[in-house]
Amino acid sequence: MRPMRSKFSQSRRTVPSLNVASMPDLIFTVLFFFMIVTHMRSDEVKVRLQVPQGSEVQKLANKQAVVNIYIGHKGEAWHVQLNNDIVQPGDIPARIEEIRSGLSQENQQRLTVSLRVDKKAPMGLVSEVKRQLQQAYALKINYSATEIKK
Amino acid sequence: MFRKRYRQQIPELNTTSTADISFMLLIFFLVTSSMDTEKGLMRQMAPPPLEHETPKDINRNNVMQVKLDAQNQLSCDGKPVTLQQLAAEVRTLAMVNRTGHVVQIEADAKTTYEAYFSMQDAIVGAYHTLREEYAHKHYGCSYETCNAEQREMINDYYPQRISEGTIAQEGGAQ
Repeated sequence: MRPMRSKFSQSRRTVPSLNVASMPDLIFTVLFFFMIVTHMRSDEVKVRLQVPQGSEVQKLANKQAVVNIYIGHKGEAWHVQLNNDIVQPGDIPARIEEIRSGLSQENQQRLTVSLRVDKKAPMGLVSEVKRQLQQAYALKINYSATEIKK
Repeated sequence: MFRKRYRQQIPELNTTSTADISFMLLIFFLVTSSMDTEKGLMRQMAPPPLEHETPKDINRNNVMQVKLDAQNQLSCDGKPVTLQQLAAEVRTLAMVNRTGHVVQIEADAKTTYEAYFSMQDAIVGAYHTLREEYAHKHYGCSYETCNAEQREMINDYYPQRISEGTIAQEGGAQ
């Protein structure tokens, strides 16, 4: 009888608590991973747009020297947004010049304009924007698109 | 005697909530940042035309005119074509006259951007297949795996000669 009883008393122990001391470390690791691989959303897009799809797209390198231009619709009319504000196409050269003066020498040469244009946007407006960019000598452009496999 | 009483263990700091705090930080970062890598079609535009510049003479036979009209209809040298046909045409032109040909793009003001973009995509794709072939033949690897020097060689061998003409302003109410 005696061994039996001792067995019973053994199984009546409390469950040991889980050690969670390393949990914050784990989560911090995930946090740092996310901080490194992602980048902050810099500007708020005020127009509605959907970029087209293409198969020959390349990754856009060097995020510092990128100017974003969004062309999309807001209500009925088409609008052009440069970085954070809605602009008229005619104001683009001045804005580009302003941005360019704030950049370092190397980045001034690498300056790329990322054109995020809605699928249905009329080419008249897009070419007007492109003409203004040409005037501002911002000649490297990137037609933003989502990738499709052939 | 009193001393003995003071020699207690230092109470441990309660760190149970650190996990919660770091979770909150993590979620904050997930919400405010975007993970999408920006991708797109890189193009180099020509500098603005100077007034005293005289237009260069070019043989009419080497120019291919690609046009998009207001109904998004693609035409190449006057004949309506599909995107695949356009790519094939560009490929043959660039292969026959590597450094002398010009692909001239013209789009109507009412063309949608999507049509324009897929046309650009098709033309760049045509050049890309040519360069890919060249890379395989001469370096035995695909264009992507070639080193920078080899790529430059290939790019010089098959240069992209795309000219964007002025856009026809038709039916303007101004």
